[in-house]
Amino acid sequence: MKSDLGSLPTTSPFSLTRSLRRIRHEYSPKTLALWAGLWLVFLAFLFYPIAFMLKGAVIYEGQFTLDFFKLLLRDPQLADALKGSFGLALTSTALTLALAVPIAYAMVRYRLPFKSVLNVLLLVPMISPPFVSAIAVRKLLARFGPINQLLISLGLVDPTNPPSWLDYPFWGIVVLQVLHFLPIAYLNCVAALSRIDRSLEEAAQSLGASGFRLFRTVTLPLMTPGLFAAGSLVFILAFTDLGTPLVFNYTRVVAVQIFHRVEQALEDPTGYAMVLLVMALSVAVFWASKRWAERWQVQTIPRASGETGERILPLPFTVLITASILLVTFFAILPNIAVLLNALADRWFMTILPDRWTLRYFHQLLVYPLAATSIRNSLLYSLASALLDILLGLAIAYIVVRRKAPLPHWLDGAAMLPLAIPGIVVAFGYVGAFANTPLDPRQNPVLLLIIAYAIRRLPYMVRACYAGLQQVSESLEEASLNLGASPFWTFVKVTLPQIVPHLIAGGIMAFAFAMLEVSDSLILAFDQRYFPITKAIYALSNRLEGGVQMASAMGVLGMLVLAISMAISTRLMGRRMGEVFRM
Amino acid sequence: MMAVRTENIVKYLGKALVLKGISVEIKPGEFFFVLGPSGCGKTTFLRVLAGFLFPDEGRVFFGERDVTFVPPHKRNAAMVFQHYALFPHMSVWDNVAYGLKVRKLPRSEIERRVREALRLVRLEGFERRLPMQLSGGQQQRVALARAIAVHPNLLLLDEPLSNLDAKLRAEMRSELKSLQRQLGVTTVYVTHDQKEALAMADRIAVMKDGQIVQIGTPTELYRKPNSRFVAEFLGDANVWEGRIKNVHSDLVTVELPFGELKCHPPSFPVSEGGRVLVMIRPEAVAVEVNCSENIEVTNAFTARLEQAIYLGEATEIVARVGETIVKALHFRPLDGGLQNEIRLRFAPDDLTLLPHEVA
Repeated sequence: MKSDLGSLPTTSPFSLTRSLRRIRHEYSPKTLALWAGLWLVFLAFLFYPIAFMLKGAVIYEGQFTLDFFKLLLRDPQLADALKGSFGLALTSTALTLALAVPIAYAMVRYRLPFKSVLNVLLLVPMISPPFVSAIAVRKLLARFGPINQLLISLGLVDPTNPPSWLDYPFWGIVVLQVLHFLPIAYLNCVAALSRIDRSLEEAAQSLGASGFRLFRTVTLPLMTPGLFAAGSLVFILAFTDLGTPLVFNYTRVVAVQIFHRVEQALEDPTGYAMVLLVMALSVAVFWASKRWAERWQVQTIPRASGETGERILPLPFTVLITASILLVTFFAILPNIAVLLNALADRWFMTILPDRWTLRYFHQLLVYPLAATSIRNSLLYSLASALLDILLGLAIAYIVVRRKAPLPHWLDGAAMLPLAIPGIVVAFGYVGAFANTPLDPRQNPVLLLIIAYAIRRLPYMVRACYAGLQQVSESLEEASLNLGASPFWTFVKVTLPQIVPHLIAGGIMAFAFAMLEVSDSLILAFDQRYFPITKAIYALSNRLEGGVQMASAMGVLGMLVLAISMAISTRLMGRRMGEVFRM
Repeated sequence: MMAVRTENIVKYLGKALVLKGISVEIKPGEFFFVLGPSGCGKTTFLRVLAGFLFPDEGRVFFGERDVTFVPPHKRNAAMVFQHYALFPHMSVWDNVAYGLKVRKLPRSEIERRVREALRLVRLEGFERRLPMQLSGGQQQRVALARAIAVHPNLLLLDEPLSNLDAKLRAEMRSELKSLQRQLGVTTVYVTHDQKEALAMADRIAVMKDGQIVQIGTPTELYRKPNSRFVAEFLGDANVWEGRIKNVHSDLVTVELPFGELKCHPPSFPVSEGGRVLVMIRPEAVAVEVNCSENIEVTNAFTARLEQAIYLGEATEIVARVGETIVKALHFRPLDGGLQNEIRLRFAPDDLTLLPHEVA
């Protein structure tokens, strides 16, 4: 037996020979190949388009130049749009948070009746993109539309000269955005609240703080990571929302300006410059909020089970709070109801509610070429993108969670990047970068649409897979390897069976969101033959005879798909559903 | 039966140096224990043997085969995990048969081996149950059956008894030991429980801070530890600081606060005037209650009884010789109350000298 205990190693853990030794032995060649493949996908469909735009924006006739950026900032119309987008995004974010925080607080901390029902109702606005509701709401708000009719019948406005709501498109957009983003902000706030160690609040209470003081001095500060997360998410979404302003014909936002430049993407480099500016901004916002959240990261101590920490309020307060939440929810769902009414209205003129109902527009969806084709297209695109997402998400999550390849954090970062990079950026980049290639969206956008959808929703899919994989104890996989099963066999026989629910849930969500994706669809689909549902809705909404109704009918269809998908996914994912929509 | 040898294993986990050069030679069929406090790197070492981790330096040999970078599924080293790691979506039968199916054995052979394994762990009749329908002890047995069913060359056990209650643990101890004898498989068992190690091991390696401090049989380690750490980790010990008074070839006299002790020379070099530690186990301290005062005996001292705790099979005694506390275990009932004068005797055979450590 050796009596000496070996000499102490003196080199650092990161020496070159050790790193090489690790790469050579710890990673299997197959996994490394997969890893390289994933990076290729990101390079080709995320980084390359951005690099292409960057090149287009700063290099002109072989010379480096910042002229296009200068041009951009001097153009009064664009400066105006930038200001408009900022104003819009800030207003929407502030209002959304102002609603979401108290609601989340009440829902987490108080015992309220029908809580589970309220919880579902609060999520309902997610089922339609704001631009679909915008089409219906635009009609609602028309000068002689139902809202004014209601107000007239209540004697609140002058029947001969009703207010013209649509003259204030800014506030229309704000309202729709706030109502639509509320669920996302709400989910993030709930998450932030439930992460707070209750004993910190209890400590403050034992020291004499209570009520609003407790909230302001302890709860709110502890919530800030979640608040920043929610805020930056909403800000980016609002800043880059294309559909809603488009429907309201509001051109004073950057997204719409970009959209109108797609046609000249190749000729006019200011388009690239503008897109890059938007991207830089949203990445900065995203990064800042991440950093902020990390600085504040608080370790939570799990509570003993059974204790919900819900406080019981006096009855009047309970009623008051429940009623307020119901009221907000009602307004949040109103646009969706408007969509439904529009789709069912046969005649709706100068009345509060339609005076004749019909299912004609639903029938037309099946026969009218544009509608029927677009539904078929969307089903195909969404299905393909969901499958692609499952494959990508599974591979990424496996490599990242199980650290099966070098630099897992970088891969995670790349997969999460679409959260920070707005859809319009990627789509615009595709138009430029893949022009005059076999993938040219002007010729046939199918592949690019599928890939764009998949990449847009990849963060959610990857997270669903993370959640699944983290539930599967690594020692189960080790046990399998240890008993002689190969890594692939282990994955198929041990890992996969346990994360199937997460995969399905993630896949369904990816499918549903692809069905209602707006910016990629509007920007990438040029030819009617390839229109997805959302582009068809947009095209239809501008037609006079029954266009709005048909667009609404398609919106209802989309909402149904999304609602059903969310219900199934929530069932499958259980309580982990919330994690998917967080930052 | 297969020998296992490691040469100077170094492993970093992140920036932390977890294994600082581990070299052991495990004999074929040996029941080898790695014992140490939590965080000493013992589980990391086991995972290196299993192939879940590849060492940053050093080599691992199974017999003559260099397996340093052989992936776990090609090692035939079956492991019993601390939390069992039973596949929750498979029945007991399927769990045990898993490794056999992977090896593509014929069905009849699989059936035979699963039955054999379940019989060995006395779990016949539970084949159709799912893991979550079993008690902790039963799950533990399934994990064991799953590991032995593949007839591994090396059996690895990661604190397999730590999740069982005290009674079951004691039962499983003897069962595991006889099972290991029966199978004759080379076995490495990682634990922080010195009783488990002493009860079952052929040999024990005591680990501390990523290094092996001492390797030996249970009696060697218990009676002749090479350091204060090993002495105190393996059981109760009286450890006193002293100074060498003189050294003879077969006897060393150590000066302590309460007197002089005659000891056998230690394995490390000592010199007159040097500081050493003197160790004696409580049960080795001879307690004499009715002492006849005038008889002069080596290493015997009068002590004041401070505390006597009756444990049934023995009495735990805390006494004071001068200012020094002595713990002793007395196996006969102690008559007479406290404050009694007793006599303590420390036989040279039971005294161990340990190197003095500078804190």
